[in-house]
Amino acid sequence: MTMTPLAEMTRMARCLRTSRVLQSYLDGELDDLPAAARVVEHLEECRRCGLHAATYRAIKQALRSGRHDVDDLALRRLRAFSQALAASEGPQPAG
Amino acid sequence: MTDQPAGDDTRRATSAAAFARYVEPEVPVLYRVALSMVGQPVDAEDLVQDTLLRAYRAIDRFDGAHPRAWLLTILRNTHRNRARTRVPSLLRTGEQDSELLDRSGASCSAEDVVVDAQFEAVVAGALAGLPAMHRVVVQLVDIDGLTYAEAALALGVPRGTVMSRLHRARARIRTRLVTAGLVPHRSRR
Repeated sequence: MTMTPLAEMTRMARCLRTSRVLQSYLDGELDDLPAAARVVEHLEECRRCGLHAATYRAIKQALRSGRHDVDDLALRRLRAFSQALAASEGPQPAG
Repeated sequence: MTDQPAGDDTRRATSAAAFARYVEPEVPVLYRVALSMVGQPVDAEDLVQDTLLRAYRAIDRFDGAHPRAWLLTILRNTHRNRARTRVPSLLRTGEQDSELLDRSGASCSAEDVVVDAQFEAVVAGALAGLPAMHRVVVQLVDIDGLTYAEAALALGVPRGTVMSRLHRARARIRTRLVTAGLVPHRSRR
Protein backbone atom coordinates (compact mmCIF):
# COMPACT_ATOMS: atom_id res chain seq x y z
CA MET A 1 0.00 0.00 0.00
CA THR A 2 1.40 3.42 -0.99
CA MET A 3 1.80 5.93 1.82
CA THR A 4 0.60 9.49 1.52
CA PRO A 5 3.37 12.12 1.59
CA LEU A 6 2.27 13.20 5.07
CA ALA A 7 2.32 9.64 6.36
CA GLU A 8 5.75 9.10 4.81
CA MET A 9 7.12 12.28 6.41
CA THR A 10 5.69 11.24 9.77
CA ARG A 11 7.32 7.85 9.47
CA MET A 12 10.67 9.39 8.53
CA ALA A 13 10.48 11.73 11.50
CA ARG A 14 9.84 8.75 13.77
CA CYS A 15 12.74 6.85 12.19
CA LEU A 16 15.04 9.81 12.80
CA ARG A 17 13.86 10.18 16.40
CA THR A 18 14.39 6.47 16.97
CA SER A 19 17.83 6.37 15.39
CA ARG A 20 19.04 9.10 17.75
CA VAL A 21 18.35 7.01 20.84
CA LEU A 22 18.33 3.48 19.47
CA GLN A 23 21.76 2.42 20.73
CA SER A 24 21.21 3.94 24.17
CA TYR A 25 17.90 2.10 24.33
CA LEU A 26 19.53 -1.22 23.35
CA ASP A 27 22.24 -0.65 25.97
CA GLY A 28 19.60 -0.07 28.64
CA GLU A 29 20.90 3.47 29.05
CA LEU A 30 17.82 5.39 27.93
CA ASP A 31 16.47 6.81 31.17
CA ASP A 32 13.66 8.71 29.47
CA LEU A 33 10.83 6.18 29.84
CA PRO A 34 8.37 7.84 27.41
CA ALA A 35 11.17 7.93 24.81
CA ALA A 36 11.89 4.25 25.44
CA ALA A 37 8.19 3.46 24.99
CA ARG A 38 8.21 5.34 21.68
CA VAL A 39 11.22 3.32 20.54
CA VAL A 40 9.46 0.06 21.38
CA GLU A 41 6.35 1.16 19.53
CA HIS A 42 8.31 2.31 16.48
CA LEU A 43 10.43 -0.85 16.30
CA GLU A 44 7.24 -2.88 16.14
CA GLU A 45 5.85 -0.93 13.21
CA CYS A 46 8.99 -0.06 11.19
CA ARG A 47 10.84 -2.93 9.60
CA ARG A 48 13.85 -0.81 8.66
CA CYS A 49 14.44 0.41 12.20
CA GLY A 50 13.68 -3.07 13.48
CA LEU A 51 16.45 -4.37 11.25
CA HIS A 52 18.85 -1.72 12.54
CA ALA A 53 18.01 -2.74 16.08
CA ALA A 54 18.55 -6.42 15.25
CA THR A 55 21.90 -5.56 13.65
CA TYR A 56 23.12 -3.66 16.70
CA ARG A 57 21.97 -6.48 18.99
CA ALA A 58 23.85 -8.94 16.79
CA ILE A 59 26.99 -6.77 16.86
CA LYS A 60 26.85 -6.63 20.65
CA GLN A 61 26.33 -10.38 20.77
CA ALA A 62 29.24 -11.03 18.40
CA LEU A 63 31.53 -8.77 20.45
CA ARG A 64 30.50 -10.45 23.66
CA SER A 65 30.99 -13.97 22.32
CA GLY A 66 34.39 -13.02 20.90
CA ARG A 67 35.76 -11.70 24.17
CA HIS A 68 39.01 -13.10 25.44
CA ASP A 69 38.87 -15.72 28.14
CA VAL A 70 40.48 -14.15 31.14
CA ASP A 71 43.66 -15.84 32.27
CA ASP A 72 42.54 -17.83 35.31
CA LEU A 73 46.02 -17.89 36.79
CA ALA A 74 46.35 -14.11 36.58
CA LEU A 75 42.95 -13.72 38.17
CA ARG A 76 43.88 -16.16 40.94
CA ARG A 77 47.09 -14.26 41.60
CA LEU A 78 45.20 -10.98 41.78
CA ARG A 79 42.60 -12.47 44.13
CA ALA A 80 45.38 -13.83 46.35
CA PHE A 81 47.07 -10.42 46.30
CA SER A 82 43.78 -8.76 47.21
CA GLN A 83 43.11 -11.24 50.01
CA ALA A 84 46.61 -10.74 51.36
CA LEU A 85 45.95 -7.01 51.52
CA ALA A 86 42.61 -7.55 53.22
CA ALA A 87 44.29 -9.85 55.70
CA SER A 88 46.51 -6.87 56.56
CA GLU A 89 49.58 -8.56 55.25
CA GLY A 90 50.07 -5.69 52.87
CA PRO A 91 51.03 -2.10 53.59
CA GLN A 92 49.26 -0.30 56.39
CA PRO A 93 46.45 1.99 55.22
CA ALA A 94 47.22 5.69 55.24
CA GLY A 95 45.81 7.55 58.23
CA MET B 1 50.79 3.99 74.89
CA THR B 2 49.15 0.59 75.07
CA ASP B 3 45.87 1.96 73.65
CA GLN B 4 47.45 3.08 70.42
CA PRO B 5 48.28 -0.37 68.97
CA ALA B 6 44.81 -1.62 69.90
CA GLY B 7 43.27 1.35 68.05
CA ASP B 8 45.46 0.64 65.07
CA ASP B 9 44.42 -3.00 65.12
CA THR B 10 40.76 -2.05 65.16
CA ARG B 11 41.21 0.39 62.32
CA ARG B 12 43.15 -2.12 60.27
CA ALA B 13 40.50 -4.76 60.89
CA THR B 14 37.80 -2.33 59.72
CA SER B 15 39.81 -1.40 56.65
CA ALA B 16 40.45 -5.04 55.86
CA ALA B 17 36.75 -5.85 56.18
CA ALA B 18 35.80 -2.92 53.94
CA PHE B 19 38.44 -3.98 51.41
CA ALA B 20 37.15 -7.55 51.38
CA ARG B 21 33.58 -6.35 51.02
CA TYR B 22 33.95 -3.62 48.40
CA VAL B 23 37.11 -4.35 46.48
CA GLU B 24 37.60 -8.10 46.21
CA PRO B 25 34.35 -8.77 44.29
CA GLU B 26 35.45 -6.23 41.66
CA VAL B 27 38.83 -7.82 40.90
CA PRO B 28 37.63 -9.70 37.77
CA VAL B 29 36.03 -6.54 36.35
CA LEU B 30 39.15 -4.52 37.09
CA TYR B 31 41.29 -7.09 35.31
CA ARG B 32 39.03 -7.12 32.25
CA VAL B 33 38.99 -3.33 32.09
CA ALA B 34 42.75 -3.18 32.55
CA LEU B 35 43.18 -5.67 29.71
CA SER B 36 41.04 -3.50 27.46
CA MET B 37 43.02 -0.42 28.40
CA VAL B 38 46.58 -1.73 28.19
CA GLY B 39 46.27 -4.75 25.90
CA GLN B 40 49.08 -6.83 27.40
CA PRO B 41 48.05 -9.33 30.13
CA VAL B 42 51.23 -8.75 32.14
CA ASP B 43 50.74 -4.97 32.08
CA ALA B 44 47.08 -5.43 32.97
CA GLU B 45 47.98 -7.55 35.98
CA ASP B 46 50.53 -4.95 37.13
CA LEU B 47 47.99 -2.19 36.67
CA VAL B 48 45.38 -4.03 38.75
CA GLN B 49 47.94 -4.77 41.48
CA ASP B 50 48.85 -1.08 41.68
CA THR B 51 45.15 -0.20 41.69
CA LEU B 52 44.48 -2.64 44.54
CA LEU B 53 47.35 -1.19 46.55
CA ARG B 54 46.05 2.34 46.09
CA ALA B 55 42.54 1.21 46.93
CA TYR B 56 43.80 -0.46 50.09
CA ARG B 57 45.60 2.68 51.17
CA ALA B 58 42.46 4.74 50.58
CA ILE B 59 39.83 2.29 51.80
CA ASP B 60 39.35 4.00 55.16
CA ARG B 61 38.29 7.16 53.30
CA PHE B 62 35.84 5.35 51.01
CA ASP B 63 32.18 5.85 51.95
CA GLY B 64 30.98 2.50 50.56
CA ALA B 65 28.89 4.03 47.76
CA HIS B 66 29.50 2.77 44.21
CA PRO B 67 32.66 0.74 44.78
CA ARG B 68 33.07 -0.09 41.10
CA ALA B 69 32.99 3.58 40.13
CA TRP B 70 35.48 4.38 42.88
CA LEU B 71 37.81 1.60 41.78
CA LEU B 72 37.57 2.52 38.11
CA THR B 73 38.60 6.06 38.98
CA ILE B 74 41.61 4.72 40.88
CA LEU B 75 42.43 2.40 37.97
CA ARG B 76 42.29 5.29 35.50
CA ASN B 77 44.50 7.52 37.65
CA THR B 78 46.95 4.69 38.18
CA HIS B 79 47.02 4.01 34.46
CA ARG B 80 47.63 7.68 33.71
CA ASN B 81 50.48 7.89 36.18
CA ARG B 82 52.07 4.78 34.73
CA ALA B 83 51.53 5.98 31.16
CA ARG B 84 53.58 9.09 31.88
CA THR B 85 56.67 6.94 32.13
CA ARG B 86 55.75 4.43 29.46
CA VAL B 87 54.82 4.24 25.81
CA PRO B 88 51.06 4.77 25.39
CA SER B 89 49.51 1.35 25.18
CA LEU B 90 45.94 2.01 24.06
CA LEU B 91 46.94 0.95 20.58
CA ARG B 92 47.06 -2.80 20.23
CA THR B 93 49.96 -4.42 18.51
CA GLY B 94 49.54 -5.93 15.08
CA GLU B 95 49.86 -9.36 16.63
CA GLN B 96 46.95 -8.71 18.92
CA ASP B 97 44.86 -7.44 16.04
CA SER B 98 45.39 -10.66 14.15
CA GLU B 99 44.42 -12.59 17.27
CA LEU B 100 41.24 -10.52 17.33
CA LEU B 101 40.58 -11.36 13.71
CA ASP B 102 41.05 -15.05 14.37
CA ARG B 103 38.40 -15.17 17.06
CA SER B 104 35.33 -17.22 16.43
CA GLY B 105 32.78 -18.33 18.96
CA ALA B 106 29.48 -20.17 19.03
CA SER B 107 27.01 -18.97 16.44
CA CYS B 108 23.61 -17.75 17.53
CA SER B 109 20.73 -15.94 15.90
CA ALA B 110 19.33 -12.55 16.78
CA GLU B 111 15.96 -11.98 15.15
CA ASP B 112 16.49 -11.70 11.41
CA VAL B 113 20.24 -10.99 11.60
CA VAL B 114 22.23 -14.20 11.81
CA VAL B 115 25.38 -14.08 13.90
CA ASP B 116 27.68 -16.76 12.57
CA ALA B 117 31.43 -17.22 12.35
CA GLN B 118 31.66 -14.97 9.28
CA PHE B 119 29.62 -12.25 10.98
CA GLU B 120 31.84 -12.47 14.06
CA ALA B 121 34.99 -12.32 11.95
CA VAL B 122 33.81 -9.14 10.20
CA VAL B 123 32.85 -7.59 13.53
CA ALA B 124 36.25 -8.51 15.01
CA GLY B 125 38.03 -7.10 11.96
CA ALA B 126 35.99 -3.89 12.12
CA LEU B 127 36.74 -3.57 15.84
CA ALA B 128 40.47 -4.02 15.22
CA GLY B 129 40.31 -1.32 12.53
CA LEU B 130 38.67 1.29 14.74
CA PRO B 131 40.66 4.24 16.08
CA ALA B 132 42.07 3.28 19.51
CA MET B 133 39.88 5.72 21.44
CA HIS B 134 36.76 4.31 19.82
CA ARG B 135 37.84 0.70 20.13
CA VAL B 136 38.52 0.92 23.85
CA VAL B 137 35.00 2.26 24.47
CA VAL B 138 33.48 -0.66 22.57
CA GLN B 139 35.66 -3.05 24.57
CA LEU B 140 34.69 -1.51 27.90
CA VAL B 141 30.95 -1.41 27.21
CA ASP B 142 30.21 -4.31 24.87
CA ILE B 143 32.90 -6.75 25.92
CA ASP B 144 33.60 -5.90 29.55
CA GLY B 145 30.00 -4.97 30.31
CA LEU B 146 30.53 -1.53 31.83
CA THR B 147 27.78 1.06 31.83
CA TYR B 148 28.34 4.34 29.98
CA ALA B 149 29.02 6.07 33.31
CA GLU B 150 31.52 3.42 34.41
CA ALA B 151 33.35 3.56 31.07
CA ALA B 152 33.46 7.35 31.41
CA LEU B 153 35.10 6.99 34.82
CA ALA B 154 37.60 4.44 33.54
CA LEU B 155 38.62 6.71 30.68
CA GLY B 156 38.28 10.05 32.44
CA VAL B 157 35.94 11.49 29.82
CA PRO B 158 32.32 12.71 30.02
CA ARG B 159 29.50 10.16 29.65
CA GLY B 160 28.40 11.93 26.48
CA THR B 161 31.82 11.33 24.95
CA VAL B 162 31.57 7.62 25.72
CA MET B 163 28.13 7.58 24.13
CA SER B 164 29.14 9.38 20.95
CA ARG B 165 32.34 7.34 20.48
CA LEU B 166 30.51 4.09 21.12
CA HIS B 167 27.62 4.87 18.80
CA ARG B 168 29.94 6.03 16.06
CA ALA B 169 32.12 2.95 16.47
CA ARG B 170 29.16 0.60 16.23
CA ALA B 171 27.85 2.47 13.20
CA ARG B 172 31.25 1.87 11.55
CA ILE B 173 31.09 -1.80 12.43
CA ARG B 174 27.61 -1.94 10.94
CA THR B 175 28.87 -0.27 7.76
CA ARG B 176 31.54 -2.98 7.45
CA LEU B 177 28.84 -5.63 7.79
CA VAL B 178 26.78 -3.93 5.07
CA THR B 179 29.84 -3.78 2.80
CA ALA B 180 30.47 -7.47 3.46
CA GLY B 181 26.88 -8.20 2.44
CA LEU B 182 26.02 -9.63 5.85
CA VAL B 183 23.42 -7.00 6.65
CA PRO B 184 20.99 -5.49 4.15
CA HIS B 185 21.74 -1.85 3.43
CA ARG B 186 18.08 -0.89 3.23
CA SER B 187 14.87 -2.61 3.98
CA ARG B 188 11.40 -1.58 2.94
CA ARG B 189 8.97 -1.34 5.82
